Order: sequence, then structure tokens, then C-alpha cells
Amino acid sequence: MIGEIDLNETIVAMATPPGPSALGIIRLSGPAALEIATRIFQPRHELKPWCLVQGYLIDLDQGEPFDEATAIYFPAPRSYTREDMVEFICHGSPIILEEVVRLALRAGARMAHPGEFTLRAYLNGRIDLLQAEAVNDLIRATSLHQARLSFSQLSGRLSKKIDSLREALIEILSQIEAAIEFPDEGLQINKEETGQKIKEVLAQVEKLIESHDLGQAMLRGLTVALVGRANVGKSTLFNALLEKDRAIVSPYPGTTRDYLEEKIRVGDFLFNLVDMAGLGQPGHPVEEEGIRRGRQLASLAEGLLIILDNSEPLTEADLEIIALAREKKAIFVINKIDLPGRLERDRLNDFASGRQIIGISALHRLNLDSLKKAMAEVFPPSLNKNYEEIIFHWREKISLEKIREALHQALDLLETGYSEEFVAEEIRSAANVLGQLTGEIKSEEIINAIFSEFCIGK
Amino acid sequence: MAVIGEYEIIVVGAGHAGCEAAWASSRMGFETLLLTIHLETIAQMSCNPAIGGLAKGQLVREIDALGGIMGRLADETGIQFRLLNRSRGAAVQAPRAQCDKAKYRLTMKHWLEATPRLTIFQAIVTEVILSDGKVRGVRTLDGSEFLGRAVILTPGTFLNGLIHIGLQSYPAGRANEPPSIELSECLRRLGLKMIRLKTGTPMRLDRQTIDWSFFTPQPGDEDPVPFSFWTKKKLENKIICYLGYTNEKTHEIIRRNLDKSPLYSGKIKGIGPRYCPSIEDKVVKFPHHNRHQFFLEPEGVDTAEIYVNGLSSSLPLEVQKEILKSIPGLDQAKILRPAYGIEYDAVLPTQLKPNLELIEIENLFLAGQINGTSGYEEAAAQGLMAGINACLKLKGEAPFILRRDQAYIGVLIDDLISRGVEEPYRLFTSRAEYRLNLRMDNADQRLTPYGYRLGLISEDDYRSFLEKKEKLKKVMVFLESEKIFWPQGGSLTLKKYIKMPQVSFDDVIKYAPQLQELNSEEKRFLEAEIKYEGYLKKQQREIQELSEVEGIKIPPDFDFKKVPGLTREAIEKLGKFRPSTLGEARRIPGITPAAIINLFVYIKKIKQAKPEKTGLADVSRET
Repeated sequence: MIGEIDLNETIVAMATPPGPSALGIIRLSGPAALEIATRIFQPRHELKPWCLVQGYLIDLDQGEPFDEATAIYFPAPRSYTREDMVEFICHGSPIILEEVVRLALRAGARMAHPGEFTLRAYLNGRIDLLQAEAVNDLIRATSLHQARLSFSQLSGRLSKKIDSLREALIEILSQIEAAIEFPDEGLQINKEETGQKIKEVLAQVEKLIESHDLGQAMLRGLTVALVGRANVGKSTLFNALLEKDRAIVSPYPGTTRDYLEEKIRVGDFLFNLVDMAGLGQPGHPVEEEGIRRGRQLASLAEGLLIILDNSEPLTEADLEIIALAREKKAIFVINKIDLPGRLERDRLNDFASGRQIIGISALHRLNLDSLKKAMAEVFPPSLNKNYEEIIFHWREKISLEKIREALHQALDLLETGYSEEFVAEEIRSAANVLGQLTGEIKSEEIINAIFSEFCIGK
Repeated sequence: MAVIGEYEIIVVGAGHAGCEAAWASSRMGFETLLLTIHLETIAQMSCNPAIGGLAKGQLVREIDALGGIMGRLADETGIQFRLLNRSRGAAVQAPRAQCDKAKYRLTMKHWLEATPRLTIFQAIVTEVILSDGKVRGVRTLDGSEFLGRAVILTPGTFLNGLIHIGLQSYPAGRANEPPSIELSECLRRLGLKMIRLKTGTPMRLDRQTIDWSFFTPQPGDEDPVPFSFWTKKKLENKIICYLGYTNEKTHEIIRRNLDKSPLYSGKIKGIGPRYCPSIEDKVVKFPHHNRHQFFLEPEGVDTAEIYVNGLSSSLPLEVQKEILKSIPGLDQAKILRPAYGIEYDAVLPTQLKPNLELIEIENLFLAGQINGTSGYEEAAAQGLMAGINACLKLKGEAPFILRRDQAYIGVLIDDLISRGVEEPYRLFTSRAEYRLNLRMDNADQRLTPYGYRLGLISEDDYRSFLEKKEKLKKVMVFLESEKIFWPQGGSLTLKKYIKMPQVSFDDVIKYAPQLQELNSEEKRFLEAEIKYEGYLKKQQREIQELSEVEGIKIPPDFDFKKVPGLTREAIEKLGKFRPSTLGEARRIPGITPAAIINLFVYIKKIKQAKPEKTGLADVSRET
């Protein structure tokens, strides 16, 4: 990839998604940004830096204006990418926007690669790698909460956390190095203390790794499976929640794919709803197969909607399904409340053991809002589990796992009595990987750390 | 202005750097002139009467492996030998020796006098003579001129040296030796950027006035480890050092007199090293320590002078006396030489190429303290490299550059030229990313082939090196195949056994008595290679990956202004530092990843364009 990018080229891209809208934004970044902009745009006043100026987009061939627009010129380095940039705000007609991009290309710009503006911001040192990732996450945020977390990462909170971990490791390292470097000063490291300090960093690394699951869940959405025996109305409920007629109510004849997945947004959260298609003929359900599939699905989901039929007493199959809820977050949904109730509420209460039971009618769209409200309450991970920072990406998780391994190794080496330079090697390696996370490796820190702490003479 | 002599290489200053440089160049066949202010102080140890220590000892081994003098000289004149960090792994072990100062310089003088093609002359150099941006020779205070095709400046702390004892100061390069004022001015006139640094040295005491019973003896090693790979004789410890401590009374005295300290009164402008603080620094910065240690080190076998290691100071003489009085055992001690601080000029080493030649002035090389380093060993290493490279330059051959993963010498020079200095630079093992490979025991494996090719290692010495290499290879094969069988069943190769943390090489002697005949260095080497194996392999891979980008060369007269997309700041920095590889460029402070990528892409394009010999500006690009 590195060999392909040429930072000398001026890039152009639509900054707003395709599709008609009132306004659309086009950005240019690079050494020729201003020159290209002035070729395709006739400002009413002079294009002064950081000022919004009205004007007209010009057709290159006839020199004729074809739309009104406003433009802002950001001279380097005070721009998003730290290069010269121009942003056009035009009418959001896809035709117009495409034309502007085409004009820019003819005037000498190049189509930006996905994420290239942010890449340039990173390369030019305005943001670090973690912040660059956060931009993307913010744009693609699936919930307000996640957006807030991404914004905090963009603001550098995660970077600060990583930096503080690095500092902690460098402090430990400096003590070990001082003991190695100045044997005559009698600076012996205290094994317990050093081990303790490493464990503290390790604990924080573990927490960050753990948070990845939550991070992924937030990015991907929470998977909630609708489980229940045949004909309790799962697919009807599925459709009702989607308010689209997606699932086919009749059973699939032996296809390889036997479940449906759709995303819905409920409140602050994104849910991946999964519906297991019913099996067997209506009236002759193949119960065991259904239950087996239900179990499989349930184990993969983050939460369950256990769907029961209000109009019938609890069957064996129901009980098997209810058992799936033992280890999972679940909401008990009693469907078909429009029909006379024969389901044993007391027994259900016992099984529910404190979890929410919501009565609805999927067919008649009754009480669905209560169900959605319950979903937003019950399924999201308890966010007060004290995750100060959340790791969203696989790249970060891999790096943190490497760090965890190195720190475990360091503890091991410390325990088994290896000479200090082995321990130092592992810690140094861990500190380096932390540096790679933010995309920057600082040197001289160890020396600095040693001498701020130690009284050395030679 | 009379031209007194014409030489190929002129070395200015016969300190540790100068002596190595002169030795190397004359041995490589070039007529060399070594100029010194004072013939009696050739290779004078200005401060510590010791060679070696952590990282420094490794440097001396590397100098020795390449064919330099310091190691052999330290073995010849050493009076106490200690191997540091014996309890730790080989990568952080280092030899150190107290030397007889007088014997050290006299022996060096003797060896240099006996070196063919080397002329020593006593003179004070005032100017470097240039024409057309190229060095022509030097001029001395009495008006003589010496012509040379290359000049190596190694003036130590003499450039504009200013000594401080309390609030009194006087110009000197070293106690009571004249400074080089004109030379410093000359360098300024040539447009070199300079920095003012400071260092200090402790008092020397009369051993007959010390009550030794108050101090703890620190004897040398029972089995001294030599510096040089070729030292055959058994080394002896002839003296003992002693450990002592200051106390609160001492600290009180120092605190009361801080206003008389030139540093704390602001009289000294130069920046001193953090790791070699004066005793007043220690007391001010670490007030919670109720005592600071010092070592009483004899400066020689026949002299009464005792060096007080740890009590460097620029406080007035009366205060120094008071300090002594406060320490039991030293209360009657007589000061033979006062402690003092010294400020001096240094040249910012970012103006040097990796071969230590100045970027702006051809054939002028700088080595030693002038580049902002401290320590005899750091100076000697640079001197050796400058000497070698001056010769290679005159021969028209490629320079001899050592990488960071090859030697501490590489780490040292790379740190200097890519980062410059803000305080006197000293080597530490933690500066080396590849310290597990840069060990005292494998310096010859890493460097002797180079020394031989350069002509600094004799045929005999090289032969014995090759024999050693063969022998060690065979022993390693043996260790990998020979097994120990446990009584309860199961077996382990000797190599795997040695890998275990509690096991040292000597533990396997009982399983293979023939290994007893290996000497301590050979055992250390094998043990280290085995114990660090996993890490060494991992580092090799890293070095491999890095070297692809690191090693991409930037042509010497590369015009950074031509690289598209570089910020003005980057162009300025690159123009100033003139990196010769992408790796070096990467390490320049403030150069962003963007600049590196731009450079990389542009250089690749030049490489692609070269075969057709089209103009660089015509290289096409898709838009």
C-alpha cells in the first residue's frame, strides 16, 4: 500500500454519502487544492483562508456557471489533513456532486482512496493511529453511546490511556536498567515490588482486551435470537419488529440457511435480530430438531427473546426452550395476548426468576413498544462495568494480546530467577508494541526515566 | 607561514580518540602526523583512573576486536580488574580495570613512538587550513603549517576550556594546561554550530593521610578477565579500592555553600551530564538520601594520589577541605589536586556524516569529546572509526559504517549524528535495542573479520581468531547432540540443560570434562548464545524486516527539495542532518512518517526511472 500512495497528488472525494439531500460536501486536499478549486469555482469575493465564500461552480469547457455553492479554503497546516484543503458545499444532488468531482479530476485531482484524508492527517502528524481509527468508528457509530466512546477516543482519551501504560512500563524498565547499568551503586530491584507493578499494568491490559468484546458488540450490534417452539409466532414477531415483511411464514423446505438475520435500531442500540425458521408441518412440528437448533442459536446470541404462546399451556418443548435462558440474558415474551390465556402464569414466573415477562400480540401489533423498551434495558452490556476505555478493533486487540503475553513472560522470568536483562527485554518489547498502537515510538525515554529517579555517580 | 611538513593524515590532539586514530591510520599505511599540546600528556586519563564499565567495557572489546589499542593497553597497565554484573547474564556483563595512569600514558607514548609511518610533534594547533571546501592542513601557534590530505580533530575538552573552582575560573583545557581558543574560533568561523558543555572531576588525595580503617575494601576479581582477545598473560591485581560514604554533616556543608558553586550561582553556562553529577548536584537533587557513596581509587602503584570517585565538585577549595573534614577517615586527608568543573565547546555532531566526516567540509573528521561525548572509551571508539574512515576516504573506497545491530560503536555514532546532543553523551547498554547480541564475549565474532580486512588485525591474530571460531562451532555441535540421562529416566541435551536459568556453563563440566579446557570468554560466549537463543532469533527477524526499509540508501548529494510533498520544515531538517539511509532519516527528531513515505516513494521512482535514463521530472503519474 505504501508504494501506491503519492502524497504529492491532490485528492478529491465526496464527503457526504450518495443520495439526494439538501446539501453535499466535496473536499480537496493536496498541494494543488487551491489551484484546482479556483479553476472549477468562481468565488464572489476573494477566497480568503478559513472564510466561507459564495460563488458558482463552473463548467470547464464553456466556462459557464452551473450551480451555486460555497467554498472554504484551509491553507496548510491548519486543515484536517495539514495539507492545503478546499471544501465545497453544494446542492446535494448526486448529479451535481458527481459533476464537481469529475471537474476536479479533469483539473488534475485524483480520486481519494477510502479513508485517505484521515490517512494523510495521520501521516502528517495531526492525529495518531488510534485517533485515525476513531474517526472511522465515529462515522459508523451504531449508537449514541458508541459515538460518544469513539469521540472520546478521537479526542485522545484512549491514546492517553495507552501512553500512561507505556509510562508505567518505562518506569519499571528504568528501575531494572538502573540496577543493571550501575552495579556498584547497589541498586537491586525488589522482585515483589517489580512483580506487583507489572501485575498492575497487566490488569489494565486485560481489562482493555476484555472490553473488545463490548466494543465489537457495539460496532456490530447485539445479537438477539428469537427462540421458541414451532408456531408460537416467532416469524410474525420478527416481521412486526422489523415492520417489514421479510421472513417467510411458511417453513423452508430443507435449505442450508435456516435462520434470518436483520438489524433494527431500538433506542440507543443496534440489534441483530435472528429468527430461526420454523420446522416441520404446521401441526406436526419436529420438536427435537427445533429444540436442537434453538440451543445452537441461543448459545451464539448475546440475548434471547423466549417466545411463548398465551393460548396454550406450557409444553415440554416450551420448557426445553425456557431452559436455554438459564445462562443468558433473556426476556420472556408471551405472544397472542389477544387470544384467551391458557398459559400458566405462576409457573412461568417461577421459571423467569425475576426476568421480564412481556405480553404482546405480534399479529395485531399490541404492546410492541414495551417489548422494545425492555430490549433496550436488558440486552446491552451493563455499561457501568467500569470500562473507562473500550477497544473497538481487532488490530488493537492483537497488539494488546502480544503485550499481555510479554508481560506474563516477564513475570515468569522474574519468578524463575532469570537475570534481569531477560525481564527487561520482555518489558521493552511490551512498551514497543504499545508505542506501535499509537503509531509512534519514542526513544531516550528510558534514559530520561532513569535519571529523573536515580542518584548516580561515576 | 612556513610549511614544515606534508602528511597524508593529520591528527590534532593525542587523547584517547587521537591515539586510536593515529594508530589506525598509520597501520593502514598512511603517513600520519599526531600533534599534541604536550607530549607528556599523550593518552592522559583526565578523570577516572579506570577503563571500561557497563557498555564502555563492551566498547573496549569492540575496539580491540577491530584492531585498536585501548584493550591491549588496559591489560598492560591495569592494576585491578573486575568483571561487573557477574551475577547477571553475559549481555550485561562488562570488564572494568583500574589502570596506573602514569604507566598508561607512558606505554601509549612508547607504542606510538615505535609505530612506523607515525610522527608525533608537540605544537598548539590554531587553525584548520581549507581551500575550496576541502581540508588542506593545519596551522600552529608559532606560524608553522602542516599539510595533510585529511585532518582528524580530537581536541577533547580543550576547545575554549574554562576551569571553575568555586567562583574562580581560568581558561584551561585540563588542569593547568592551556586551552585551544583559536581552534575553537576557527571552527566557529567555518560555520560549525557549537554547544557549550560541562563536566567535572573530583579531588585527588594523598593516600598517606587517609585512615583506611574507616573504609570497606573492594578487591579485584580472583580470576581477572582481560580486555583484549589476544592477551595471553595472566593479569594481576596490584591495588585495592575502598568504599566510603558522605553523611549529613557533609551535606550540610555543601548546602551552606551552594552560592559559591559556579553551577548553582549560574556562572557556568554549559550543560553537564546527568549521570555524572557533582556531589553538590546529588545533594540538591536527592535531599532524602542521608548518605552518598564514593570510592577511593589509587591512581597508580607508585603514586600517592587517590582519586575520590563520586565526589566530583566545583565548590571552592576551602569548602572541599571542609567536606573532607566531615568524613571520618578523611578528616586528616591532604588534597593534592582540587576538584574542579570545566566548561568547553563541542561541535553539534548532527553536522557529521556516519563516517565522522563533516558534511560541509571535505576530509575534515571529528572524533571524541569534541562531538559531545564523555568517557575515554566513547572517545577511543570514535577515534578508531575516524582514523579508519579517513584512510578509506583517501583511498576512494566506501566508508566503514557499523549499524546499531552490529556494535555499540554503531549505536554511539548513530545516536550522535541522528539526534545530536544536549548534554555530554555516555553509552548505556539500554541505548542498544540489540544489546543481547552486542556482548563482550562475541565482539570478535562480530568485528574481527572487518578489522582483518581493513589491515588492523595481523595474520597471526586473525589465524588464532579463526581457530577459535572453528573450535566454538565444534563445541556447540557437541552440546547440541550430547545428552545427559537422568536417573529417573528421560534425557536432555547439554544445550537444553544450559538453557535453564539456574544452570551455568561450569555446571556441565562434570558431564563433559573436556570442556574444562575452554577459557572463560569461550564459555561465556557459548552460554550466552544458548541462553539468549530465542531472543536472538527473534531479533534477527526484526533486523531483517527493518533493514529493508532502514537500509534504503539516500544518495550523498540528494536534493531534498526535489521530493514532492515534503514540508518546508522536513526539507530543512533533512538538508541539515543529511541522512544517508531511510533508517537514519526516520530517526531525525521531528520527521513525520509522511516525510519518510514521500522519500521512499520518490527514491523508488528514481530507481525505476534510472534504466531508461529519462529526466527525473519526466516520470509519469496517473491522475
